Amino acid sequence: MAWALILGIGCPLSLQAYIGPGAGFAFVSSFLVVLLAVLLAGFSLLSWPLRLLAGLFFKRGGKGRKKTDISRVVVVGFDGMDPKLAEGFMKEGLLPNFQRLKEQGGFTALATSEPAISPVAWSTFSTGVDASHHNIYDFLTRDPCTYAPILSSAQISAASRVFSVGKYLVPLGKPRATLKQKSKPFWKILGERGVFSSIIRVPVTFPPEKFHGVLLSGMCTPDLKGSQGTFSLYTSNGDPSGSAVGGTRYRVSINGNRIRTALQGPENPLLRDGGELTLPMEIRLDPSRDRVRIAVSGQEFELEPGRYSPWIRVVFRPGLGMKIHGICLFHLNRTSPHFELYVSPVHVDPEHPSLPISHPFIYSVYLAKLIGPYGTLGLAEDTWALNEGAIDEEAFLKQAYLLYEEREKMFFKVLERTPKGVCACVFDTTDRVQHMFFRCLDPDHPANRGKETEKYRNVIRDLYIRMDRLLGRLFEVIDDQTLLLVISDHGFTQFKRGLNLNAWLRDNGYLFLKEGLSESGDWLQGVDWERTRAFALGLTGVFINRKGREAKGIVEEGEPLATLRREISRKLTGLIDPETGQTAIRRVVETESAFSGPYTYEAPDLLVGYNAGYRTSWAGATGRVTPSQFEDNTRHWSGDHCVDPVLVPGVLFSNREIRREDPGLTDIAPTVLKALGVEQPAHMKGCPLI
Amino acid sequence: MFGSRIKLDGELLSRCRKQAEQLGYSSVEEFVTHVLERELRSMETSGGESSADEEEIANRLKGLGYIE
Repeated sequence: MAWALILGIGCPLSLQAYIGPGAGFAFVSSFLVVLLAVLLAGFSLLSWPLRLLAGLFFKRGGKGRKKTDISRVVVVGFDGMDPKLAEGFMKEGLLPNFQRLKEQGGFTALATSEPAISPVAWSTFSTGVDASHHNIYDFLTRDPCTYAPILSSAQISAASRVFSVGKYLVPLGKPRATLKQKSKPFWKILGERGVFSSIIRVPVTFPPEKFHGVLLSGMCTPDLKGSQGTFSLYTSNGDPSGSAVGGTRYRVSINGNRIRTALQGPENPLLRDGGELTLPMEIRLDPSRDRVRIAVSGQEFELEPGRYSPWIRVVFRPGLGMKIHGICLFHLNRTSPHFELYVSPVHVDPEHPSLPISHPFIYSVYLAKLIGPYGTLGLAEDTWALNEGAIDEEAFLKQAYLLYEEREKMFFKVLERTPKGVCACVFDTTDRVQHMFFRCLDPDHPANRGKETEKYRNVIRDLYIRMDRLLGRLFEVIDDQTLLLVISDHGFTQFKRGLNLNAWLRDNGYLFLKEGLSESGDWLQGVDWERTRAFALGLTGVFINRKGREAKGIVEEGEPLATLRREISRKLTGLIDPETGQTAIRRVVETESAFSGPYTYEAPDLLVGYNAGYRTSWAGATGRVTPSQFEDNTRHWSGDHCVDPVLVPGVLFSNREIRREDPGLTDIAPTVLKALGVEQPAHMKGCPLI
Repeated sequence: MFGSRIKLDGELLSRCRKQAEQLGYSSVEEFVTHVLERELRSMETSGGESSADEEEIANRLKGLGYIE
């Protein structure tokens, strides 16, 4: 860690601040950070001989490690890579490096998690156990005290005590960020045996936890606003300012080729009355050159239509000398017939992190020094901006590949610095691009209406070719002692029709709305809890309104609960979409019967396995009860995987022979442990694959 | 800085260990934490995250591609 300390001295942080969504600050001034870094560096140097001796006597990992012929395991995760598509492209000769890997070791479909959702599946990858053991069943769940939605992966709560100074509220202590994933990731187990791991952007690693290694958080890391990504669109045309899904539109006026507006930041956590922090932004239009010049946060840069800016550093000042650092991308959509500028969500600046996004804390700074600024938001590719028309397909793809190139650069730098142990890196591009362009593989997809399809027919093919190129580069830097596993968490299928489970529950007498309402608002507003026996929230879960578990539960435990679960499960299984005549739901899993782990009580009681082409509807996922049950999906987000897991296995490529039929994600952690000579703990039920 | 430690009776600890293994926890610490959290939740009246207002809750989930 000496490099990290030296780096800490070399690049004094102007402020270490923790911002939570709606939470307060706990900060250490830049002086204290530098002082602390100097003291730690001094201590580190002086204690080195002692630590060396101690290391020799009490060698970490001396116990329980067997000798193997593998010194390093490299895991490349391509989120959402589909085995059928990969196989098809390999047959066409488009993926020579994947083909080579298949011939060298093996290629097979990899059973995904139940349910087949990324945070669930990657948690299974990390811990080697199913959802009932790691407690992640979806992106979101409900707070049983209020029925309000909450993120499944992390909880950030404000500092418990604050000090009041005039209009300011200064938190004493830092907000508490807790990872809600249970069980133990394999890199922690390896660390206990002295094996070092570099873990890059594996989902559900925010906030990062301590272990013997380095880690950069992935999916579910928030932006500076504490959201999962909020873009801004500045336009001189169209509707007045207002909220869009995943972003905010701002109506601007052009006066003498100048636009004066503001960049919106996080809520001011220091002010008693809150309010958004803003930065003045001036945009000067140059119609003769079709360019604009943007001045924001002390920087000026030029943009032309269809181009992204580099990451622009922005600094918000909530008061009392504090600074909150962010980075964002600007994309000029057009200057005529009207002006339109897209600004990406403001990511946490990895060089001045205001949230704990890496372990050790300074690791994100180190990576930024190595490769320059990089996106840190969990779901960094701005899918809602494309859905909402804030950017077009071309701009989305440019953004996705810009983020991909950063990740690729980061991965190879980290790999170079991890000669032994584990280097695991997840690439999200495969998932996001497939979500947004899967419609182009199906001429009958309802999302194709009014959209360019032919032009983007090969986007997914090109995506797989791009990943193949990465693999080619990887072959050049790995040796015989490296076990290479290329995996995905799930595959992909079409999302053509959506089912609103709450509407179905209402129509079948399980869910009731308050008197006089025929539909509800978001997040189950308007539901009559005194009469409701079941409700749905999230991507696959149905919750029974259980007495003693939910705040206003009415269904008694025991026989009444078992009967109701069976009844709903039976009615939903094989449910037919009346408009298409197709089966919308293939099977329904009763969580407490199907799983054996300790975290089933608060889980969704039923997990719905949709058929290919179906998913929970957009409104259904946010707990809105709509008039009709089924609807077409017409959004750009046209492919999905939140279906029966059997339909969407992931991929497994290995440079060593895969010695087990029908492998699954639960087998990956035991495989990594075995490869590095570490005994598999009893709670992991998977089997090593090599 | 040095963490929190609670002394448990040896026999109680071995019972906890046995249960942790049988139930599929990754460690006895995870088992004890879960049991305590469950018990405390049943005693306490308000949930940890329920104090956030609706706007704040919606904001936290904003931008999650899978939901509107």
